[in-house]
Amino acid sequence: MKILVPCKRVPDADQKIEVHPDGSAIISAHLPFLLNPFDAIAVEEAVRIREQRDGETEILAVTIGEEVCQDELRTALAMGADRALLVVCLQPPDPWNVARILRAVTQREQPDLVLMGKQAVDDDSNQVGQFLAALLDWPQATFASRLNFVDNGLRVARETDAGLETVTVSLPAVVTTDLRLNEPRYASLTSILKARKQSIDQFCLADLAVELEPRLEIRHLETTASARSCQWVTSAAELVDRLRRETH
Amino acid sequence: MSNWPNTADVVVIGGGVAGLSTAMQLAMRDCRVVVLERQQLGNGSSGRAAGLLGQLRGTAESTRMLMDGVNIVRELEGQAGVEIFVQTGSLRIADTLARAQEIKDLVEMGKSIGFEIDHMAIDDVARSLPYMKTDGLVDACYCPTDGHLQPAELVAAYLHVGRERGVHCESQCPVEEILVADNRVGGVKTQRGTIAAPVVVNAAGPWSYLVAGLTQTPLQTAALGHVYLTTRPDPERPIDPRSPAIRDRQLRLYARPETGGLIVGMYAEETTLFDMQSLPSGFDMSAMKVRRDDLQVARLIDAVHQRYPWIDERTPMTMTTGIMTFTPDGKPLCGKLPDIDGLFYCSGFCGHGIVQSPTIGVIMADLILAGQTDYDIGAIEADRFWDLPGFQERDRIGRLCDQMHASYYGKIEGQQGAQTG
Repeated sequence: MKILVPCKRVPDADQKIEVHPDGSAIISAHLPFLLNPFDAIAVEEAVRIREQRDGETEILAVTIGEEVCQDELRTALAMGADRALLVVCLQPPDPWNVARILRAVTQREQPDLVLMGKQAVDDDSNQVGQFLAALLDWPQATFASRLNFVDNGLRVARETDAGLETVTVSLPAVVTTDLRLNEPRYASLTSILKARKQSIDQFCLADLAVELEPRLEIRHLETTASARSCQWVTSAAELVDRLRRETH
Repeated sequence: MSNWPNTADVVVIGGGVAGLSTAMQLAMRDCRVVVLERQQLGNGSSGRAAGLLGQLRGTAESTRMLMDGVNIVRELEGQAGVEIFVQTGSLRIADTLARAQEIKDLVEMGKSIGFEIDHMAIDDVARSLPYMKTDGLVDACYCPTDGHLQPAELVAAYLHVGRERGVHCESQCPVEEILVADNRVGGVKTQRGTIAAPVVVNAAGPWSYLVAGLTQTPLQTAALGHVYLTTRPDPERPIDPRSPAIRDRQLRLYARPETGGLIVGMYAEETTLFDMQSLPSGFDMSAMKVRRDDLQVARLIDAVHQRYPWIDERTPMTMTTGIMTFTPDGKPLCGKLPDIDGLFYCSGFCGHGIVQSPTIGVIMADLILAGQTDYDIGAIEADRFWDLPGFQERDRIGRLCDQMHASYYGKIEGQQGAQTG
């Protein structure tokens, strides 16, 4: 069993994100960056699958971006990924092109399963898993909250608005992970130190014979969050009164 | 803004426990106080604290301050109608002869000042904490009157009582300028307006050295990262919410029960020094996260696993990380500096701001209104580093504070670490 886990470096979305005055990009200097939480869930699930299968599983973490994205690949390695691969790409590709790059990686690596976050918390696109399955003509199971291997593939409980839907997909397949699938572990001291020394394979787009075909252009970013303020009330009655008077 | 206070008797910069306690005590003595908070009240270090209260400190005076603090908290609980102090008792444990000697000395010192403390047999420790590994322990001591203060409830009580006495708070209101003329404070300037005031208190916690920088005053504090874990309640392993807090100096750990789970934190040898200037302007400490491969977290889990073998990297738990304000000698900086009249400091609580804040508020109000206090504040006076060579440059202050943090629970046997709660 070989599992490919795409990983994305994202800013910590719980911090206040500021945008350049010209609206071209977020101000990323001094922002803390993390492995996309949904991708961390995917890495954790891959490691658990390997543990269940007595180690007969190879986990490959892949990311697309600048050199600095190696930090998040090392997070994946420290959590238990066996190998890591960086596709160097200086311009952030849109979801369609991320899926095209991942298709090239998938064709090269021939995994049995692509396990990835349902979306990245920076742009919340929620498109790449679906695009990738379509490009590969593989079955897909999105928003997974439980995975079980069965004879003819993988049984996946999906989170939908109405409740849980259980589907079975044959392998190879693309599965995207939802929040409740698992709780990712923290890396141990020894695995962090080991991950720091591990070599990370690098490819450029030409190595993968991919040319970007942008379909999406970001025209303008702006923040809508206004300054929240906190006021204390002394009784429930005062709260009700103020809500009546001060809200529209 | 219609109700913007154009004047005040005292402006307090920083809406954490130090600033709010000071504001409340001043208001109780009929001062008109305005608290200015850069973000949300109680959302900085105060909101990230574990709140452990170990009253027995290195000196009789610091112990007296903490014991008096408990009485203040008891009164606050009555006035605000919340439970702040959870009296669980506390245990110090030793698994080496050197640590056992520390405990012996501590018991003697405590008894000499009439503090309730005694040795506890290891069998009794094991009975009282079935979820902790006790093999290899050689001694322990128990302080029945210790416990922890609940930080959120303490903040709420300071606010409740303070507001009743007229304390005015502005959140999301960073101070841009401290107005000074003829070496006297005249007030502060913010984006919302200026406030004229003869007294300004810098209680800005990790930001306090930047606030001091507004008047070109070097302040001997540094901002250091800290992390603790809270295990999720597990019916298989119940944690009695009244079981005693633990201090294990050898492993550098402290622990206490928390709503069915267990909080365990560590004063590690290495930590992160934060440059507060370089954080984003809207930085929210309450939203700080750790990476899954954070070394500090890994070291914490490694040490915790030795004392609580059922906790490892995969245990369901949350990590709480925040920033503490350290000083070169592990004591806070309270009072005035010689350069500017009317400018007071109240910062640098080295991870013990919650428990020191009740009495510190009294001391600050004493100093501001009367210029003196009944407490012996020699050890915490803000001016003790004032003209000391080597305590003026940021880099060196940071290094000294970092060294202090590393020796906080004292690792090397035979070497005197700081005596902390």
